[in-house]
Amino acid sequence: MQTVLNLLEQEPLRFILAFGAILFLTLNLAAVLTMAERKVSAYIHLRYGPNRVGPRGILQPLADVFKLFTKENVSPNRADRWIFLAAPIAMFLPAAVVWLVIPFAPGAVVADINVAILFFVAVTSIGALGVIMAGYGSRSTFSLLGALRGAAQMISYEVPLILSLLGVVVLAGSLSFVDVVEAQAGGFWNWYFLPLFPTFLAFYISGLAEVKRVPFDLPEGESEIVGGFMIEYSGMTWALIQAAEFAGMGLMSAITTTLFLGGWQPPFEFLDLGQFNWVWFGLKTALIMFTFQWIRWSIPRLRMDQLMDLGWKVLVPLTLVWLVVVAGVMLIV
Amino acid sequence: MLSEERNIESVALSGRETGRLTDPDIRDEFGLETMDMNMGPQHPAMHGLLRLILELDGETVVRCDPVMGYLHRCQEKIAENRMYPAVIPLTDRLDYFANMHNEHGYCLAVEDLLEAEIPPRAEHIRVLMSELMRLASHIPSIGFLLLELGAFTPILYSFRERERIQNIFEAVTGARMMYHYIRIGGVKADLPPGMEDQIWEYIEGLEQRFTRDFVDLIAGNEIFVSRTRDIGKMSPEKALEMGLTGPPLRCTGVDFDVRRDYPYSIYDELDFDVITDDAGDVEASYRVRIGECLQSIRLIKQLLERMPEGEVMGKVGRRVRPPEGEGFSRIESPRGEFAVHIVSDGSDTPYRVHYRDPSFANMQLLQEIVPGHYLPDIMPIMGLIDPVSGGWDK
Repeated sequence: MQTVLNLLEQEPLRFILAFGAILFLTLNLAAVLTMAERKVSAYIHLRYGPNRVGPRGILQPLADVFKLFTKENVSPNRADRWIFLAAPIAMFLPAAVVWLVIPFAPGAVVADINVAILFFVAVTSIGALGVIMAGYGSRSTFSLLGALRGAAQMISYEVPLILSLLGVVVLAGSLSFVDVVEAQAGGFWNWYFLPLFPTFLAFYISGLAEVKRVPFDLPEGESEIVGGFMIEYSGMTWALIQAAEFAGMGLMSAITTTLFLGGWQPPFEFLDLGQFNWVWFGLKTALIMFTFQWIRWSIPRLRMDQLMDLGWKVLVPLTLVWLVVVAGVMLIV
Repeated sequence: MLSEERNIESVALSGRETGRLTDPDIRDEFGLETMDMNMGPQHPAMHGLLRLILELDGETVVRCDPVMGYLHRCQEKIAENRMYPAVIPLTDRLDYFANMHNEHGYCLAVEDLLEAEIPPRAEHIRVLMSELMRLASHIPSIGFLLLELGAFTPILYSFRERERIQNIFEAVTGARMMYHYIRIGGVKADLPPGMEDQIWEYIEGLEQRFTRDFVDLIAGNEIFVSRTRDIGKMSPEKALEMGLTGPPLRCTGVDFDVRRDYPYSIYDELDFDVITDDAGDVEASYRVRIGECLQSIRLIKQLLERMPEGEVMGKVGRRVRPPEGEGFSRIESPRGEFAVHIVSDGSDTPYRVHYRDPSFANMQLLQEIVPGHYLPDIMPIMGLIDPVSGGWDK
């Protein structure tokens, strides 16, 4: 027993275990989120949603995963086989890896690196590569269009995303997520969404675009290019793409929580739960995820040119101006 | 195999400039080719089985060729081999979102041949059913428009209303979609007891829900407006030139409605407005459909108030044998003008039946106004026309 504990003390092994746990959690999060998505949509549509597998349908994700595992994995004849099969992995891994640097509770972070924000930006941009690989590898006009849209969209919205991150960096004076959360201690009025409100909105909108959710689901565009870059995928590869989408959505909510809603900080000092502050983190993340789903089932999709207009003509100037304002105020104070 | 495919395509496009198919070396000044894209016939937004051959320059559509015929069932030919009353169930399968209108149009054409007298109660029930059908077609078409723009929820709200109207139809006719209710000389059966109150109750409820569910939730939405305003814009002259009818024509400002301008049945005794709009784009067609739904509600209330008592079947024999000659009728279906032309040779089967279906005629719009729009704009334009597969492929 003691030797096992000693082994766990060693950094590489600890890291591998933690990464396994994170991977496991991400996949499960994706499964739970599919379920949540269906229940939320059912609530908005005045339906019941899945209610046959298990009590109130809570075992539905298990059934779905089982079905996807047993399905045949079809790849088109003319597809570029390696790119086609590697794309889902290239999409999923970035969404999973970033969880490593997110603090869930005081001290509960796998890797407290001092450039976590940079790490987040760098790793999530790999996701765009996965989309291009999927679209190009499938050799279909629909998926090619989807991939080009996805690439254009994700690269364009990276700009307002990074610019809005800069506001947080200026306020917290650090690139580490742990430091950012520590800096927001002491009640919800200290959270960054208040001083950085325009930036917060810009970050939220670019986040939506980054994870390709309605109204920015153009790469998928199910009514015009029927699934876009993922049109040719089936079985497990398709499941992996779906898992990547949902994990990305969860991740974006977690990052929004960490940067703007105080991470694991309780809304009032007296509600401090110590080690159990991950409850606050979970609640805030779930709230953001719910708003993502709420938007998903309420409004139509934008068109590509309108999307670009919003990104470059509204969000980028907005974040830039607010960055200058915040930096100026910080300089004076 | 490939050359065979090409042949089929060129047959489908014969007599037309086929652009890229005949000349594969069209390149722009940067040496870039346009991309051919095949949308449909199995495509979720194609309103059934429509195939569009698109030529894309980036996301911009350069050329759009609709190819029809994937649901062709030789409706007109089959009708020549059936006795007159046996054609009615076939007309149900034409435009399957306007079954009552098809039946009504066909029966009017046969009655034109027979010069039959229709009892007033039967006329009222026919118009009542037609207006309910118009609601059951217009409300989902609003839902479809939104679905094609990427919003999933309105389609479910609209099908909830359609479901309730179908329940009424089921109680009245015994079927939910293929009614076979309007017969030559009248209707199959009288309304079941208590039905008039039930319809009244439903219409009252719908009137209250309608603005909330289909106007307040949709009309002011910034994204909806930006996706539909000035999309598919056309002038009234253009619309008339293309032979459009129904909401696509009225949304350009042309004041034409068969119900008012060539009244049939009892429409000349009823009080209703023809809704027009000046914009001539997708948003205008949405507003026209909303307005027409409200007019239908108004019509149904009038009909229920003045519903006379009496027979529902005129004196037409079981065996229909019209005299030699031609019968014609035109009615306003939800999609536009639906006309039936029957030539009789005096036997008990028609010599020739021709249907003029609005879905088919309005489809010309695609080729004319889609080029120049972006690829995703095809979807709202389809929503503007709102064609039905069973209608354009008879």
